[in-house]
Amino acid sequence: MEFITESHYFRVMPFLLEGLVWTLLITFVGLILGFILGAIFGFARLSKSKLIYGIATVYVEVVRGTPILAQILFIYFGLSDLTGINIDKITASIIAIAVNAGAYIAEIVRGAVYSIDTGQEEAGRSIGLTRNQTMRYIIWPQAFRRMIPPLGNQFVISLKDTSLFSVIAVGELLYMGQQYYGMTFQAFQALTMVCVMYLVITVPTAVYLRRVERRLDV
Amino acid sequence: MITVKDLHKSFGSNEVLKGINAEIKEKEVVCVIGPSGSGKSTFLRCLNLLEEVTSGDVLIQGENLTDPKININDVRSRVGMVFQHFNLFPHMTVMDNITIGPIKVKGMKKTEAEKIAHPLLEKVGLSDKAVAYPESLSGGQKQRVAIARSLAMEPSIMLFDEPTSALDPELVGDVLAVMKDLAQEGMTMVVVTHEMGFAREVGDRVLFMDEGIIMEEDVPERLFGNPQNPRTQEFLSKVL
Repeated sequence: MEFITESHYFRVMPFLLEGLVWTLLITFVGLILGFILGAIFGFARLSKSKLIYGIATVYVEVVRGTPILAQILFIYFGLSDLTGINIDKITASIIAIAVNAGAYIAEIVRGAVYSIDTGQEEAGRSIGLTRNQTMRYIIWPQAFRRMIPPLGNQFVISLKDTSLFSVIAVGELLYMGQQYYGMTFQAFQALTMVCVMYLVITVPTAVYLRRVERRLDV
Repeated sequence: MITVKDLHKSFGSNEVLKGINAEIKEKEVVCVIGPSGSGKSTFLRCLNLLEEVTSGDVLIQGENLTDPKININDVRSRVGMVFQHFNLFPHMTVMDNITIGPIKVKGMKKTEAEKIAHPLLEKVGLSDKAVAYPESLSGGQKQRVAIARSLAMEPSIMLFDEPTSALDPELVGDVLAVMKDLAQEGMTMVVVTHEMGFAREVGDRVLFMDEGIIMEEDVPERLFGNPQNPRTQEFLSKVL
């Protein structure tokens, strides 16, 4: 028993659990905000107004065309350099996830709404529903179901992306692992457990998504 | 009840309707026949502005649909439309498909709307399917639900866009029977169809469309029995 509790695989755990809390917090809050951004910009990408479409397209292309590591450094160092206002690391991380995932989710939203047969809108409008009512009661509920698998995928991607925030010393999972082997020089054990912790979240998510996908038949 | 004056409709440079004039009276059943690509579906879709009109006028109960100030949602709630591919809402039960219009457009309570829906389901022969989802229904059943969904808005006009064209042959009869009942109850109907038997039996008048215009119109006996226009003759000789 003692050789287990004395091993570094075990002793790194308190560090990693603390890191996991921050990883999950940044991921969840970031993705909730990212979903709001994604819905707004996704609809903007479907807009007939060239201006609205253009703004949304610039956002999506800029974010998708630059690495998230550059984005977090830009938000944390670049913006405070420009404005003189220091934002704390966790806030910067949440913003980075929100802005980054928002662009990908915008494409998920756009694609899902676009994929609903135009006959659905015509049927809704022909019974007298307004454009907004048709979106809310007819198109959106169907589109949202189709968004679940890619949104789950985005959750896994964003969760892993939080590891990049170790560069600004956010105490997330990878950073806490690094802290541990910095003190103990036990990099193999510490990093193995870091990976195990990511897998504990990502593998069940993937299994669950596959099941949802099969049920939705998409 | 419906007046169409010099209706033109273009998709880009492709002119699909080249000046349609038509008058449809209350309680009249008008069938529109013609080869595919003749513009008959486009014509029908202009009657509730699912297609924007390029030029000309469409008057429904005296209201001009091309007037920019018109409340089109209000007009559409009085003009029912049945589609070739049914377009039922797949995420809702049959009952919810039928009641969403009365609830959201007319502001009815759910129980009130269901009171309207039950006799309609009975009318289309699907009383036992209220809680079923569309995917569990056959094509003919779906189309009958779609008819009930339109009727729930208590429209004064019903438009049918090839309502039986996507159905297996043995399912066509049930849908046509429902439409025939509606016609006998005095519903004003415009039916784009390939069912010449239905047009002949139920139609008060038949319009033959080709190349974006109404080539010939007459009561069914004369249009089918003694067509005057050579295009009508040619078309009928192919389909009858």
